Amino acid sequence: MLKGLSRRNHFQIAVLVVACLSSSILSSAVVAEAHRASQKAPVQLYSMDHPAMGTMYSLYLYAHSRAEADADAAQVFNEIDRVEDLLSNYRETSELSRINREASTSAVTTDPETFHFLQTSFAWSARSDGAFDITVGKLMKAWGFFRAKGTIPTAAELAQVRNQVGWQRVQLNSAQRTVRFLSPGVELDPGGIGKGYAVERAVKIMRAEHVSAALLSAGSSTIYALGAPPGKSGWKVLVPALGHAENTLSTVVLRDTSLSTANCSEKHFIDNGHLYCSIMDPHTLYPVEGMLQVTVIAPSATDSDALSNVLFVLGPQESASALRHLPQDSALIVSGKMPAAQCETVRWSAAIMPGYCTSLHTAKEN
Amino acid sequence: MSVLSSKLLGAAQAYGQSPELQAQPQRPVAANDRVNVGMIGPGSRGKELLRQLLRVPGVEIAAVSDVYGPRFAQVNELVGKKVPAYKDHREMLERKDLDAIFIATPPVFHAEYAIAAMKSGRPVYGEKTLGFSPEDCNALVDYVTQSGQIFQIGHQMRYAAWIQEAVKRVHQGQIGVPTHVYGYWHRNDSWRRTVPNPSLEHLLNWRLYKESSGGLLEELGSHHIDIANWVFGEQPQTVVGTTSVVVYHDGRTVGDNVQAVLGYSKGRRMFFSSILDNGLMADQLWIYGTEGSVQITLEDATLYAPSGRGITAASHSDVVQRGVKTGASFNADSAMPYRGPGERIETIGGEDSTLAACRSFIQCVRAKQQPLANVEIGFGSGMAVSIGKHAVVEGRMKDIPQLRKT
Repeated sequence: MLKGLSRRNHFQIAVLVVACLSSSILSSAVVAEAHRASQKAPVQLYSMDHPAMGTMYSLYLYAHSRAEADADAAQVFNEIDRVEDLLSNYRETSELSRINREASTSAVTTDPETFHFLQTSFAWSARSDGAFDITVGKLMKAWGFFRAKGTIPTAAELAQVRNQVGWQRVQLNSAQRTVRFLSPGVELDPGGIGKGYAVERAVKIMRAEHVSAALLSAGSSTIYALGAPPGKSGWKVLVPALGHAENTLSTVVLRDTSLSTANCSEKHFIDNGHLYCSIMDPHTLYPVEGMLQVTVIAPSATDSDALSNVLFVLGPQESASALRHLPQDSALIVSGKMPAAQCETVRWSAAIMPGYCTSLHTAKEN
Repeated sequence: MSVLSSKLLGAAQAYGQSPELQAQPQRPVAANDRVNVGMIGPGSRGKELLRQLLRVPGVEIAAVSDVYGPRFAQVNELVGKKVPAYKDHREMLERKDLDAIFIATPPVFHAEYAIAAMKSGRPVYGEKTLGFSPEDCNALVDYVTQSGQIFQIGHQMRYAAWIQEAVKRVHQGQIGVPTHVYGYWHRNDSWRRTVPNPSLEHLLNWRLYKESSGGLLEELGSHHIDIANWVFGEQPQTVVGTTSVVVYHDGRTVGDNVQAVLGYSKGRRMFFSSILDNGLMADQLWIYGTEGSVQITLEDATLYAPSGRGITAASHSDVVQRGVKTGASFNADSAMPYRGPGERIETIGGEDSTLAACRSFIQCVRAKQQPLANVEIGFGSGMAVSIGKHAVVEGRMKDIPQLRKT
């Protein structure tokens, strides 16, 4: 994932910033004065962007001065860059690329953070019975979703890939902190979880720096709302209605939680009139069909990123049961084919745009 | 500890000068033994070193030392367990179970701590730059030369496979005679860290103050100067440049931009520039030769060697180019050469250079060998920076002392 194409489509989730950005503050370079005045000035909203992982990270941050905001943003974006250096499968020097190169021939000793990231990823694989699987590296390449235009693989190519995909082909040894691929050709692709993980790490930095209120968005794919703007209960985030650029499917208010969305609106290819989505079903080795969009709200940005992909693969019927043991999580699942969108909600308390869904079903809690 | 130490740490935390430590025998380390590492200064760079060390089989992070207490919790999280922690590096060095010491403090402490660690009998991996002053650089070279202790300087680019291959091809003559090295390494932020309270300003933002930092020339330029030294096969003889504060008038006493020109023998030159604001994180180094160029980044290297050279000014024959008769002293293709796509320099692997450097150092500890990036390599860039940081402030050319050959 991470650079160029990613498994997640980066459609626009508009972020409704409830305070106005002061153009004079944004354009000012008078750092010193702002720095000196920082401790007594009231907080103001600052916004900054940073390209990473093939998308644009946006940070909205309340701070006492531009200098304070810049310093906080630098740490946030440095952390995101660090995670990209760790996980990018587009960079040969990343730890993930090293594991991909070496783990087929010998057990690779890795650092605790990378090891824990892999444990988390494979825990989602186990929990979803393989619907989520970061061993899809070769599968993504076979379908041309890695540095290339989409292409339909041949049956022979898919037969070969079948032996290279599967989370159970990876052996993690906690005692030795090693990773070993049990089949040759396995390749890890963190596209379904990496940006969420980067957001989670960056939020941790902000908490350590005592940032009171911030909204961090990984190209709208994963968003985390830290605290709330002054005088507000949380950050308003608009979930757009797919196919309705100006319309909002649902408006949620987030505080100390994350929101992730998976869909196929941007990253796909069309062949012979058929749309092939970049989100793969690891069982069938084919792109997911019949799904439009899944939005998940969960306390952890890593988890909401992974879970949005899980539900996208599982579909609306299985989503409710998948969420049964995740009582803090909620989801809005849109399936079907436009303009006939079928909507399913699980613990989704916000209103849904009237008329958008041809059917709207709310999952019952058992 | 020095006056500066007192300023950085606050008077209450300062402690006296290190007593002269006697060289002690190190714990024998066999070829496949676990290597217990201690680190002095696990700040931002130190933690990156720890992260890479944790990827080297058989390495145990056995102890850390830092004057800033919050670092210890960060280390524990990174390592995944509670690591014995010391506020005084001398206490850490008294441990008997350490096999190697990493030093990632501000450069002003590099020489003092590295010599103390080596006197305790341990090989040392010292972050660049070698020393903060010419005296520091000479002292470290002298100690390593006399003691034979293992010392590796943190010029990890020496271990990057793509840079090794690029320099090898330059040395093979594939771009003719290398004459110039242009390096620029820009940041994209203020270089300022947030501090929990003002009393920690100099401790956490040590990079911004001349008492503890040589600025961008030291922190970033030293890596590029080292590559130029590698390419030219010698250390620079002179340095001139300039620096200023152009954006961040926040009390810092080192520039937020720097430009330096380093002179080598036979008229060869290295130019380095660094600024803090740019659209992208930018770090590139170009090696220019008489028959081509090489571009090096933190991830790859590309060789540009046109197959046909333009006619030189020395030729007096007329040429016809695109139907226009012109003198031989001008050739449009030579004036504005199109280099084409270049040849990406392929290597096997592509391991992170810091991981490769750490892995190599651990191998040296086990094999009891001096590393590739030895103390003399460190001297080449360290001395240049220790002089250059004054040259850019004063705006006049300075001579760079050369390595004393014994």
